[in-house]
Amino acid sequence: MPIYIARKLAFFILAVIAASIAIFLLIRGAGGNVAAVVLGKDATAEAINALAQQYGLDRPMVVQYFDWIGKLLQGDLGRSFRTNESVADLVVSRLSISIPLCVSGLVLGLLIAIPAGTYSALYSDRPLGALVALLSQVGIAVPVFWAGILLSLLFGVRLGWLPTGGWTNWDANFWGAVRSLVLPVISLGLILGASLTRYVRSAVLDVMNQDYVRTARATGMTQMQALLQVGLRNAALPIATVVGLQIAELIGGTVIIETVFSLPGLSRMILANVAAREVIVVQSTVMLIIIFVMLINLIVDLLYGVLDPRVRLAR
Amino acid sequence: MTAPAAIEVRDLHVVYDGLAAVRGLSFTVPAGGRMGLVGESGSGKSMTALALMGLLPPGWKAQGTILHDGVDLITQTDKALSARRGRTVSMVFQDPMSSLNPVRRVGDQIADVIRRHGGVGRHEAMGQTIDLMMQMNLPRPEQLARSYPHQISGGQKQRIMIAMALACYPQLIIADEPTTALDVTVQKQVLRLLSAATRERNSALLMITHDLPVIAAMCDTVAVMYAGRIVEYGPVRQVFRNPRHHYTRGLLDSQPTMDNIALDGSSRLTSIPGMVPPLPALPSGCAFHPRCPVATDICRARMPEIDAATGAACWHPVAASQPAVAS
Amino acid sequence: MTSLATAPAPAPARATRRRRRRNLTLTIGIVITAAFITIALASFLYLPHNPNIPRIPDRLLPAGSPGYLLGTDALGRDIFSQLMVGARTSLLVGAGAALISLLVGTVAGLSAAAFGRLTDETISRGADIMLSIPGMVTALVLAATIGSGALTTILALSAFFTPSFTRVIRSAALSVTQEDFVIAARLYGRPTWFILLRHVLPNVAGVMIVQFTLYFAAGILTEAGLSYLGVGVTRPSISWGMMLNEAQQQVGISSPLAMWPGLAIVIVVLGLNLLGDGLRDVLDPKLARRSS
Repeated sequence: MPIYIARKLAFFILAVIAASIAIFLLIRGAGGNVAAVVLGKDATAEAINALAQQYGLDRPMVVQYFDWIGKLLQGDLGRSFRTNESVADLVVSRLSISIPLCVSGLVLGLLIAIPAGTYSALYSDRPLGALVALLSQVGIAVPVFWAGILLSLLFGVRLGWLPTGGWTNWDANFWGAVRSLVLPVISLGLILGASLTRYVRSAVLDVMNQDYVRTARATGMTQMQALLQVGLRNAALPIATVVGLQIAELIGGTVIIETVFSLPGLSRMILANVAAREVIVVQSTVMLIIIFVMLINLIVDLLYGVLDPRVRLAR
Repeated sequence: MTAPAAIEVRDLHVVYDGLAAVRGLSFTVPAGGRMGLVGESGSGKSMTALALMGLLPPGWKAQGTILHDGVDLITQTDKALSARRGRTVSMVFQDPMSSLNPVRRVGDQIADVIRRHGGVGRHEAMGQTIDLMMQMNLPRPEQLARSYPHQISGGQKQRIMIAMALACYPQLIIADEPTTALDVTVQKQVLRLLSAATRERNSALLMITHDLPVIAAMCDTVAVMYAGRIVEYGPVRQVFRNPRHHYTRGLLDSQPTMDNIALDGSSRLTSIPGMVPPLPALPSGCAFHPRCPVATDICRARMPEIDAATGAACWHPVAASQPAVAS
Repeated sequence: MTSLATAPAPAPARATRRRRRRNLTLTIGIVITAAFITIALASFLYLPHNPNIPRIPDRLLPAGSPGYLLGTDALGRDIFSQLMVGARTSLLVGAGAALISLLVGTVAGLSAAAFGRLTDETISRGADIMLSIPGMVTALVLAATIGSGALTTILALSAFFTPSFTRVIRSAALSVTQEDFVIAARLYGRPTWFILLRHVLPNVAGVMIVQFTLYFAAGILTEAGLSYLGVGVTRPSISWGMMLNEAQQQVGISSPLAMWPGLAIVIVVLGLNLLGDGLRDVLDPKLARRSS
C-alpha cells in the first residue's frame, strides 16, 4: 500500500504539471498577443505595451509560466485585466454554488444508479427490470441541458413549485438557495444516473456470475445476502473506477446546467471571461477545475486501494 | 440399514425451455456412504450436483424427488434451502482459485459459515475456525486465517473450501471435480484429506469426477452417467471389474494404466469413437447407440432402463464373464 | 464458470428470444441512423426555406402552418430547415470527431500494446492525464483562444475522445497479442508492424467500429452542449444545441421551439447508441456478454 500511494501521488503531481503546461501553451501559444487581444482593435501601441508590462506579458514564456505556477502554489491566482479583481476572490464566491451542485449531482446519480442498476441486473426478465434498462438507454441520449429545460418547464412553469432560474445567496436566504439548486441537481443526477446505471448493471451482472458468489450461496446465504454482503462489495471496485472516469463529464454537465438555470457559478464566470478574453482568469480557473478533477481521481484511486486487498497488501 | 439415506434421488429431471440436461436420474447415497458419479463433460453430472444444492443457473428447473433429511428438497423454498446449504448439505467446487471471495479474509469466510448456521458468537466461531483449519493440515492457522485468498496457494484454498463445507458437520458433501484445478502433487493430499475428514464426521460423500481411479480409491458405489441418464450403477468393485454397459467398458478401456502402456510404444490406448451428443440433438432410444459397437434397431428405437440383474441400462449388456482391462 | 462450463448451451427458445431482441436493437439503430444521415445529406440538395434569413411577418408560426412544417422561430425562420441544417452539423462534427479519435486512438493504442513497456506506460499515463481534463473545459479554452466554430469543436471533441479510444483499443489489442496465433507469428520471426496489420488490426476492427458509433453519438451530444453554451458552432452554421439556446433566450422555455431540437438530439443519439450496441452483439461477442 505505501508504494501504491506513493505511485498514485507521484502520478497526481506529474499529471497536474503536465496539465498546467498544456493549458499554458494552449492559451498563451495559440492566443497571440494577449495584451492586444484584451484591449481590442482600437488600442494604441502604447496602451498595449503598458498592459503587457504591468502584467509581465512581455517576459519570455518560460519565465511567465513559472511565475504563474509559483503564484498558483501560494494561492495567488492572478488578477483580472479589466477590473483588477483578484481571481481567487472571484472564484471563492462562485464555488459556493458550483461545488454543492456538482457534488449533490454525483450523489444523486449514485443514489439512482446503484439500486436501479442492481435491480435491472438481477431481474432483467421482469418488466420493471426491462423498463429500467430502457430508461437508462434513453436517459443516456438526453442532453443534460434539455433535461434541465424539460424539468423547469414542468416544475417551474406548469406547476410553479420551484424557480426556473436565478440565485439568492446562501447567507441571504438559505432555503431560497436550496430551492434554486433542486432542479439543477435533479437534472444533473438523472442524466449522470442514467449512464452510471449501465455500468452498475454490468458490474453487478459480472460479479453475481462469479464462482465466489456461488460459494456464498452454497454455504447458506440467500440471494439477497449474497448480493449485499458479497456482490456489492466486489462490484464496488469497478464502479469506483467508472465514477472516477465520469467526474470529467460531470464537470461538463455542471458547466451547462449552470447556464440553463442562470446560476452564477464558476462555469458562467469562465464563459463570461472567455468572451472577454480575460486570459489569466480563464487560465487559472481552468487549472483549478483540472486540479479538482485530478484530486477526486486520486481519492478514488486511494479508495480503490482500501477496498481491494490485492492492491492494499501488494508490495 | 436402519439409518435414513443421506440423499435419495428419484426420477430427477433438469430442464430448460424444453431441453433436458438430466433425464430421469435415480440413486441413493446411504448415510455416511460414498458414491461416485462419473461421466464425460456434458453428461449432466454437474447439473445434477447443482440441482441437489438448489443452485441451478437461471432458467433451469429441477423436477422429480430429492429426499434429504426427511424433506423433498425440490419442494422447498429458497429460504428454507439457504438454511440447509452449508449445514446439512454442502458442496466443494472445482476451481478454488475463483471460489473464494477475494475481498474477505479466508478465516472470516469459514467463520461466517459457522456463525450463520451454528448461532455462535464471533469469538467462538473464530476458535472453531482455527481448530478446523488445523484439522485441514493448514500450516500456522492463526496467521493463515488472516490472509486473503490471493495470498495463499491453490491447495490451501481448496482446503479452506473443504473446511467451509465441513464446518457444520453436514450429512452430505457434494464434491464436484475438487482436484482438477490443482497441481498433480497436491491432488492426492487434498483427496486424502477430504476422504478422512468426511469419514471422521460420518458425512456422506457424492464425488463427481471423470477420473475413474479417484472413484475406485474413494467410493463404495458408482453411477456412470451418459447424456443425462445413469447407464450403469453398482458397487465400485463390481462395475469396474466387470462393466456391463458398453459405455462404461469404453471408459475403462480408454484409461491409461501401466498395464496397457507398453514402453516400446507398440500398444494402443483405445478410445470411444464419436462425441457426447449436444443437448438439442440427443439420439433416439439409447443415447449411446451412435457410438456403440453392438447397437441394433431396438437401441435406436427404445430407451433402456437399468436392469436389476446387470445394473446396466443396455439392451445388449456386456457378458458377465468378459472382464474388462483391470482398473 | 467451472461446473457451469459443462452446462449445455442456452436452449433454442430463450436464445431465439435474445437474438430477436438483439435484431430489433440493431434494426432500430440502423433505421434511425440511416434516416439521420439521409436528412443531413438531403439538406445540401433541398431546403424548404433559407434557415438564416429572417421573415418577421412569419414569426412564431405554429407547427403545421402552410409552408412551414414545424413552424417558425422568433425571427420567422423555418424550424424544419434549421433542423435539417442542424443534422448536417451533427453529422460533420460527430463523425469528424469520432473519425479523428479513431485514427489517432488506434495508432496510439496499437503502439502501446505492441512496442514494449516504456511506450505503453508513456501512452497510457498520457491518456490518463488527458482523461482528467474535462472535455467541456478544453472546448472552452479552445474557443477562448482560436475562436469558436465547427472545426474548433471537432478539435476539442477529438482531444476529449482520443484518450479513452486509445485505452479501449490498447486493451483489445493486448488480449489479441496474447493469442497463440500472434505468439506463433512472432516466434516465426514476423516483424511487429506486419503482425499488427495482419493479425491484430483485423481482430480489433469490431471494437473500432462499435466505438466509432458510440463516440459519434457522444460527439453529437457534446457538440449540442457546446453550441448551447455559445462556444460551439455559430451562424450561418446551425446546431440543434444552438437552436435550443436561441429558443430559451428569445421566447422562453415553454415554447414548442424548445422541443423539436431536443427531440432530434435524443432520437439521433439513441439511434446511434442502439446501432453501436447491436453491432457489438454481432461483432464482439466477448464484450456483449458482459454488458447484456
